[in-house]
This record gives sequence, C-alpha cells and structure tokens, in this order.
Amino acid sequence: MDLDPPIVIDVEATPVTERYLQIHLKSEGDKLLLTLPKTQDAEITPPDWVQISLELKQSLNSLEKKWVEQTPVHLLAEDRLLDARHLQNLSELLKEADLELTCIHTSRRQTAVAAATGGYSVQQIPLEQSLSVTESTPMTLLSEPLYLKNTVRSGVEVRYPGTVVVLGDVNPGAEIIADGDILVWGSLRGVAHAGAKGNGEARIMALRMEPMQIRIAGLVARAPAHPPGQLLPEVAYISSEGIRISSAYQFAKAYRFDEQGRWTEKET
Amino acid sequence: MSRIIVITSGKGGVGKTTVTANLGSALAQLGCKVALVDADFGLRNLDLLLGLEQRIVFTALDVLSGECRLDQALVKDKRQPNLVLLPAAQNRTKEAISSDQMRFLVNQLAKQYDYVLIDSPAGIESGFRNAIAPAQEAIIVTNPEMTAVRDADRVVGLLESESVRSIRLIVNRLRPEMIQLNQMISVEDILDLLVIPLLGIVPDDQKIIISTNRGEPLILEEKLSIPAIAFQNIAKRLEGQNIPYMDLMAANQTLWTRIRQRLFGS
Repeated sequence: MDLDPPIVIDVEATPVTERYLQIHLKSEGDKLLLTLPKTQDAEITPPDWVQISLELKQSLNSLEKKWVEQTPVHLLAEDRLLDARHLQNLSELLKEADLELTCIHTSRRQTAVAAATGGYSVQQIPLEQSLSVTESTPMTLLSEPLYLKNTVRSGVEVRYPGTVVVLGDVNPGAEIIADGDILVWGSLRGVAHAGAKGNGEARIMALRMEPMQIRIAGLVARAPAHPPGQLLPEVAYISSEGIRISSAYQFAKAYRFDEQGRWTEKET
Repeated sequence: MSRIIVITSGKGGVGKTTVTANLGSALAQLGCKVALVDADFGLRNLDLLLGLEQRIVFTALDVLSGECRLDQALVKDKRQPNLVLLPAAQNRTKEAISSDQMRFLVNQLAKQYDYVLIDSPAGIESGFRNAIAPAQEAIIVTNPEMTAVRDADRVVGLLESESVRSIRLIVNRLRPEMIQLNQMISVEDILDLLVIPLLGIVPDDQKIIISTNRGEPLILEEKLSIPAIAFQNIAKRLEGQNIPYMDLMAANQTLWTRIRQRLFGS
C-alpha cells in the first residue's frame, strides 16, 4: 500500500534523545539496574512521582519476567533528590514483582542519608564522575531488544534505546519510540517511530499494519484514509520516495540498504 | 466471600450509573445482598436513578468524619430489601476523600454484603483512582462509538497496571439497526481492540431515559423490556451462570425492515 507523501521532520531540532529517556530496568549480571526518567529539576514534584510510579508499574507488568525471585535491584538515582517515602514506594512496587531494592547509587548527600536510614546499602559517587560516565557512553550502541509481552494500550508511551518487540497489539493512542527496529506481532494501530535517533535503516514490521502514523528517522507518514481490506504482514521502510510499505515475506531477500541511506530493490 | 466490583468507563455519559443501578437491582432480585457505593463526589447521580434522593440523611463523608456510623449512612431501598446505597457528598469535590478512606469504607461494607458495586466518576483523575483502589474486579462500560472505545482502552491499561485482574466489558446503547447499515462499530470490532471478556450487551432504548427521570430502575418494572432482560442476564453471568447472548439483531427484524431489506437488499 502507498502512504500519503511523507513529511520531513528535523530530528536535530527536537532533542529526541532527551525525550526518550524513561524509567528503565536493565539486567547486569545477577542484578537489575533501575534508572529513573529525566525531570527538569533534581527535586521530584508529587505529580512527577505519580507518573514515575505508574510507568514503573506498567513496565513491570509488561516486561517478560526473566528474573528469579528476590533479584536485587540497584537504583541509579544520579543527582536526584529522593526522600524516604520515594524509596519506600519504589521498594513496595518492586516487591510486587518479586524484586528487592537493595542498593542506591547517588551523587547527592540527602538521598544517600535517606537511603542509609531506610536500611539500603549506598554507593555515593562524586557528581563529576557520574557526569563523565554518562557522557563517555557511546550513544550509537543499541541496548538489547525489549520484549513487551502484552498489548500496548492507549496512553502508554514506550521509549527505548534499542529494538522493541511487541507480542500483542499496539492500540490507537499508544506510542512506540525506538532507536532500533519495531516489530509488532499483532496489529499496529498506534504510532510507531523507529530509528528515532536518525537511523534510516530502521524498519517497522507488523502482522497487521493499520497505523495512525509511522515515523522512521526524520520522516513521518500518515496511513491512507481508506485502508485496504485485506491486511497481510507488512514492513515499512525508507525508500527513495520516502516511507513505503511492502509485503514482509520477500523484503529481506528483495531489498538492500544502499549507500544513499535508503532501501532499494535488488537487481535480479 | 464478597465481591468488590468497580464500574468505570473513562468517558462520561456512556451509562456507568445506569448500569450500576440496574445491575445492583438485578443482583438483589437474585437474592444477593448488594451495597452500591457512589464514588462520584460532587456530581452524585446514583441516588436519583434509584429514586432514593429524598431519603439521604448522611453521606460517606459523614461516616469518615465520625458524625455517624456506616449503617446510619446506608440508604435502604424499600422496594428492594437486599439493596442499600452509600451516597456520596454533593457539596464537596473529588479531593474530599482519599484512596485509603475509600478502601476503608468499602472493606467495611464487604463484611456484610455479597456484592459491593462502586460507581466510578468519569475521567482518570483522583476520583477514578479512589473508585478503583478497593476493587478486585472491574466492569468497563462502553458505547459503540470510537471515542468511548478509545477511552475504555486507556482505562483497561490503567486497571491492569493497578493489578485489577478481572476486567470485563459491557457494551451499552447498542443500536442493531445502525450496525446492520454499517453505521456503527460492531461488538466484534470493540472486542478486537480491547481484548477483554464480554459480560453483556445492552441495546439503546427510550425506556432507559424514562426510567432515569422516574427514579425507577428498569429491572423493577412489571413487564420487562429488552434492556431490563439484558441487565438480568448480566447479573446471572456475574453469578456464574452460563446465559447465552440475546440475539438483538433478530429482535430488530420488524416487518418493515424485512420489507425494506427485500426491496433494497441488505
């Protein structure tokens, strides 16, 4: 199916990487690392906190449970100002998912004191060091794919610095923003943005492609006003004419990514 | 073991309160002891639908402030001895009560009643959060309209993250004749999007407006209308009975539509 002409957005103009950092659980060895989303200030306002705890609940629910019971969690709080109530709240949410908050990494004294009083072990990192660590991390490196094992419903926004695989539908009103590819093993009816940091090679695949909007790197395309009746597994990619959608079966065999940064049909 | 069920929708005006009143009445008729809790502080309507407005002396807030006991605030329905209502305060707003207080009230009621049905306010703000806080189960009410279905999807997501595990759907205000003409979203399309079990379908009917204005639930009428039967069936399904869905399309097959179909094709 042909989409409406793509609209070009300037990825550089929107601070994509900043927007896409959200609450995030990552496994490292026999423990999990929990990072909190960026907020404007180091101090977290109550509405911000409601949003953070909701996001944590949602991601704990939708993540594939790969950990064993009572896996220790280390919170990377950076220079965030957290009090005993925040830590208690996080600990309770993690406990529901059989996880145990054990250690707080922080560069802020008040947070370290609150953590120590709450009985958590504390690793205090000087501010300069924690800053230099985040800066030296190469941003081109993608994280391992994120598996979401259920339907992504309206109002949920998934931002991930890698490839996202959804085992379910992406409903209208939901948004998936990934630095890598997006694979939907179900219907894609919401908004999907692959290659969000500007990778034009990224693709979006779905068993049923009926999206509200598709974005790849810096291009945006709307779905046609009248979708075709029959829907087959399809893949969306950047061609020389902007974002195109083709049948998924032959794509890997019939197309290649050329030097101009587009997918073109192989000559036979 | 009593069941605590919240009736919610996201969007306003889809029939949450109508469903709560009629479902409560239908469960009471089946012999269950039912307590209805109006969680719509500041915009209470449930008392009106049940025709109990004039009997309210105390509200949930009076119980919490210690001005009366819980059983004093419960309004009994003289037509239905099994049914009581815990009214919300009309002179306050949603912020007047917290989730913990809501949990306290509902858990007290759960000790004495088989069913506690909580009528949630529209929206997803604090009023909604209070209403779902004590619930073990949820009934989502939606209409065959895109706006209502989208909002329902959002609410299902929020309920899932609040660990309400049993979430079921009532499609309210269905108009079979419009579905036949392909002008309305079908129940199948709604289920395809929401992917939650269907509890029942209630057709649109003018009688619902009349019953609302009279303050008399449809269930209490002598000759039951189709929506009233639909509510009875839903109550029986909640009780675990296996009741087949009514064929609303067949009920719509009047002589005139049949002639029209014969003449102009379906």
